[in-house]
Amino acid sequence: MSDIPAKRALPPKESTLFKELLTLYETRQLKKGLKTADQILKKFPEHGETTCMKGLVLTHMGRREEGIELVRKGVRLDLTSHICWHVYGLIHKGEKNYEEALKCYTQALRFDKENLNILRDAAQLQTQLRIYDGLVETRYTLLKIRPAMRQHWVALAVAYHLNGNLTEAKKVMEHYEGTLKNVPDYDVEHSETMLYHVRLLEDLGEFAEALAMLDVNAKSRSIVDRTSIMEIRARLLSKVGSDEAEHAWRVLVEHNPDCYEYYRGYLSNLGLVLDATDPSASKALAVLEEFATQIPRATAPRRLALTIASGDHFKELVTPYLLSGLKKGVPSLFSDIKGLYQDKPKQEIIEEVAVAARDKFSATSPEPSSSTSTDVEPTSYLWTLYFLAQHHSYLGRHAQALVILDAALVHTPTLPELHMFKGRVLKRAGDLFGGARCLEDARYLDGQDRFLNTKSAKYRLRAGMVEEASALLGLFTKKDAASPGADLEDMQSLLYLVEEADAHNRNEKFGPALKKYMAVNKVFDEVEDDQYDFHGYSLRKFTINIYLNLLTWEDRLRSHPAYVKAALSASRIFVAVHDNPSIGTAATASAQLTDAQKKAKKKAKKAAQKIQEDAKKVTPQSNNDDKGLEPTPKDDDPDGSKLLQCADPLERAAKLLKPLATLADTNIEVWIATYDVAVRRKKYLQASKALAHAAAIDSEHPELHIRRIEFRRTVSSLPEPPQVVGPILTESIAKLLPDEVSYEAFNSQYLQRHSASAPAVLAAAQVMVKLQAPRDQVEDTVFTVLGAEVLLDIKTALAIAAFLGTIKSLRADEFRAQCGARFPLSTVFKPEADLAELRQLALNAPHALPDKAEDIP
Amino acid sequence: MNIRPIRVDDLPGMQACNLQNLPENYTMKYYLYHAMTWPALSYVAEDHKGRIVGYILAKMDEEGGEDTEPHGHVTSISILRSYRRLGLAKKLMVQSPMATIYRASFVSLHVRKSNRAALGLYRDTLGFTVQDIEKKYYADGEDAYAMRLSLK
Repeated sequence: MSDIPAKRALPPKESTLFKELLTLYETRQLKKGLKTADQILKKFPEHGETTCMKGLVLTHMGRREEGIELVRKGVRLDLTSHICWHVYGLIHKGEKNYEEALKCYTQALRFDKENLNILRDAAQLQTQLRIYDGLVETRYTLLKIRPAMRQHWVALAVAYHLNGNLTEAKKVMEHYEGTLKNVPDYDVEHSETMLYHVRLLEDLGEFAEALAMLDVNAKSRSIVDRTSIMEIRARLLSKVGSDEAEHAWRVLVEHNPDCYEYYRGYLSNLGLVLDATDPSASKALAVLEEFATQIPRATAPRRLALTIASGDHFKELVTPYLLSGLKKGVPSLFSDIKGLYQDKPKQEIIEEVAVAARDKFSATSPEPSSSTSTDVEPTSYLWTLYFLAQHHSYLGRHAQALVILDAALVHTPTLPELHMFKGRVLKRAGDLFGGARCLEDARYLDGQDRFLNTKSAKYRLRAGMVEEASALLGLFTKKDAASPGADLEDMQSLLYLVEEADAHNRNEKFGPALKKYMAVNKVFDEVEDDQYDFHGYSLRKFTINIYLNLLTWEDRLRSHPAYVKAALSASRIFVAVHDNPSIGTAATASAQLTDAQKKAKKKAKKAAQKIQEDAKKVTPQSNNDDKGLEPTPKDDDPDGSKLLQCADPLERAAKLLKPLATLADTNIEVWIATYDVAVRRKKYLQASKALAHAAAIDSEHPELHIRRIEFRRTVSSLPEPPQVVGPILTESIAKLLPDEVSYEAFNSQYLQRHSASAPAVLAAAQVMVKLQAPRDQVEDTVFTVLGAEVLLDIKTALAIAAFLGTIKSLRADEFRAQCGARFPLSTVFKPEADLAELRQLALNAPHALPDKAEDIP
Repeated sequence: MNIRPIRVDDLPGMQACNLQNLPENYTMKYYLYHAMTWPALSYVAEDHKGRIVGYILAKMDEEGGEDTEPHGHVTSISILRSYRRLGLAKKLMVQSPMATIYRASFVSLHVRKSNRAALGLYRDTLGFTVQDIEKKYYADGEDAYAMRLSLK
C-alpha cells in the first residue's frame, strides 16, 4: 500500500491516534475508542476510516442507528479504503445480511488483497451462501499466504470437496500429510483429519485404498475413535466383498448389541434383509435368534426378530418378549410392538398372549387392599391391563379400553401412566376436556416430573385452554422470563410453539396463531444462522466429517415437520385474511378479554416493564458494555394483530412455502397451499404447475378436486388470458378439468366415485356452494356422511359441522347432535353451554386422588 | 430400542426430548457446539419408529487447565418417562467413549439439589457419587451437587 490518497493521510499525531483507535476497538474499550475517534474527527471531520470506526464503536455501544449512519457516511468519504469496506461488511454481517456483507468484503479485498482477517471472514460468508467456487479461491489465497498453518490445508480440501471436486481435495490432503512431522500420540485433531481423508476416499469409490489407509492409521493409533474405525471398516469390507466383513460386523454387534444398524449391516453383508415378506426371511431370523442367545442382555435382536417372524414361530418369540416386559413393568412395551399391528395375524396373537397373561396374573394377584405383599404379581397385573387398554384403543375400541383402565385405576389409583393413557383414550374418542382432566390427575401424582407437566399442558392446549396451559408450563420455565411462553420460545420449543399456535388457530384467534407460527419460522432462521460460526470453528477443530454433515443437514433444515406444519398453517391464515380482510380488523376490535386473559396480560406487561427497567439500570448511556453487532429484536406486536393486517400477506405466505417446493415435495398439502397463494397473486402458470404436482401425488384428493374447478373458473373469467403463458395454461387446465365437462357434471361424478369418503363428500358440497346449488341440496349431500357405509372420523365431522355454520345452515345443530350419537364418548359436538361446563370441570381439582397434589397458582 | 452415536439430524430430537424432561434447557447452538467439538461422545436412544426417546449430551471438561487430569462431563442425559425401566440411561452412558478417545479418567455432572428423581438415576443407576456442593450453581440461585464417576 504505497500511495495513500491525500484525504486518507493523517499527520503523525492523528495517525498514531488512529492506530490506538483500532486497538481500542479490538479490545472493546469502546468509551475510550469513541473519545479517540472524536479527537481525530475534530481536526479531520471528513476522514472516512475514522468516521467508519466511530460508527462501528457506536453500534457496539447500542447506539445503532447513529452508528450505522456514520459507517455509511465513512464509506462514501473513502470508497477505496479496505477498512471502510470491512467495517461496512461487519455491520451487514451483524444484521445477518450475508449477501451484502460479502459484497463489502469483496470490495475490501480489492484494496487489500492479502488481509487474513478479511479473507477468513469472506470464506465464512461464501460458505454460508454456498458460493463454493469463490470459496475455493479464497481458501487457496489463504493457504498461499500462510502455508504453515495446518488448517489452511484442510480448509482448502474441504472447499474443493464442497465444490464437488473430490479428486483435488484428495490431492491437497496427500500433500498436507506429506508435510507433517511428529504427530503426537492421541492427537484427536489429527485423528479426525485422517477420518476425513478415509471418507474422501470412500466417497471417491476407492474402497480398497480407504480400507488400507484406515487400517494403517488405526494400527499406528493415529485414528483414536474406535467406534468409527469399526463402523467404517465393516462398511468398507462389505463394499469390497471381503471375507473379513462378516467378522467385522460381528465385532460391532458385540461392541454395541443395541444398535440396529449393526444387525442390518451384518445381515446385508450376507445378502439378507429385515423384511418379513422376503423369501430369505427365515435365514435372517436364524441369525437374529443366534445373536439373541449369545448376547442375552441385548433387546435389539429379539425385537428385530419379531418383525420378520411369523405364525407359530412368532408366537413362540413374542410370548417371552411380552411377558418379560409386563413383569418388569415397561411402560413403552405397547408402543414398542405396535409397529407389528400392520400384520393382522400378529395383532391377534399379541392380544391372545396379553389376555392369557392378564388371566394368569389376575388369578394370582392379591386384592388391592392387601398390597403389603412384596410379590411382583400385582404390578404385572396392572401393567398387563395398561397394555390391553392400549391395544384396544389403538384398534379403535375406546369403550373397551376405558373399562379396562377403570379396573386398573381401582386396583392402583396412583400410577400416572394409567391416568395419562385414559386421557389419551378420551382425546381420541373426542372428549378433549375429559382428556385434559385425566392428564391433570396424572400430573398431580408427580408434580416434579416435567414430562407429565408438558403433557398436561399439551392436552389443555388441545382443548383450547391456552391461558390455563400457560399456567402449568410456568411451573418449569424460568421465573425471570416475561412469560412461560417467552422462555419456551427462547429455548426453541417447537412442540410448544406449534401446539399453542394450533390452539389459537382453532379458537379463531388468528393474530396470536400467526405470531406463534412465525416464531417457529424464526427458530429455523436462528438454526440456519447458527452454522455461520462453525465455518471457521470446525476447521480449527478439524472435525471435518461431522461439519460436512452439518452443511447437508442445514440445506434440508426446513423439511422438519414443525416447519412444514407452521408454514402451511401460517400460509392458510395469510390467504384467509387476504380473501377476507375483516378477519384482521375483527381481531383487534374484539378486544373483549376474559378476566383470566386480562390478568395474564397485565402480568406479562409488568414483567416486560421490569425487564426494561432492569436493562436500563445496568446500561446507562455510553459505557463500555459491548452490545455486539446484532440488532436487539423488539416486539411491538405481541398479539400478532399487525402481522395479520400486513399489506403483503400473499408475499409472506409465498416466502414461507418456497423452501417446501424442494424439501417437502411429496406432501400434497404443500402444493395445494402453493396453488392457493399463486392463484391469488395471479401467477397462473405457477398455480397450474402446483396443481399438476398435487395431481401426481393423489389425483383424487378432495382439496385438489375443489381447486380443479376453482382454477378453471378463475382463468376462464379473466377478461383476457395472460398473454405469454396463454396456450400453456389452456393446455394444463384441460388436463386438470377437460373443457367439454361441465362443473356440475365433474362434481357429481366425483361425488359418485367417493360417496363413501367423508372428506370427499365435504369437498363436493363445498363445490356445490360455489356453483350456487340450493342449500337443501348441499345439506342433503353432507348428511350422507352419517350413513353407516361412510368412513367418518371426528376431525372430518367437525369440519363438516363448521362448514354448515359458514353456509348458515339451520340443520347445523341437527348434524352435531347426530355426530354426538355416532361418537358416543365424544363431547366436541355438544352445544356451547355444555362445553363451558365441561371446561370448568376439567379445571377443577383432581377427583378421588391422594393428596400429593402440588398447588397451581 | 436402538442405541447409536448421534448424527447431526438427531439434534432437534434431542432438544425436544430435553425440553420435555428436564428444567435445564439449551438452544440449538449449544447442541451444535457439542456435536462439532466432540462428535463421538454423544449418543441417542430411538424407538422402533426412529423417534428420539433418550440421549446423552457429553463433552470434555476443559476447565482447570493443564495440570488437571482430562475428564468428561455430562451436559445432559435423560430418557422420556414412558421409556424408563429399560436401562437406557446406563446403555447410553456406557457407550460414550470419553476414556478411549480422550483418555478421561472420570466423568462429572451437575444436578439440582432438589431434583431427587435425577439424583436417584445418577447415583443408584449410573454409579455417580456426590463430590461437592456448588453453591448457587444455577441461574435461579439453587445449589448443585457436583457428581463424579470414575472411568478407571
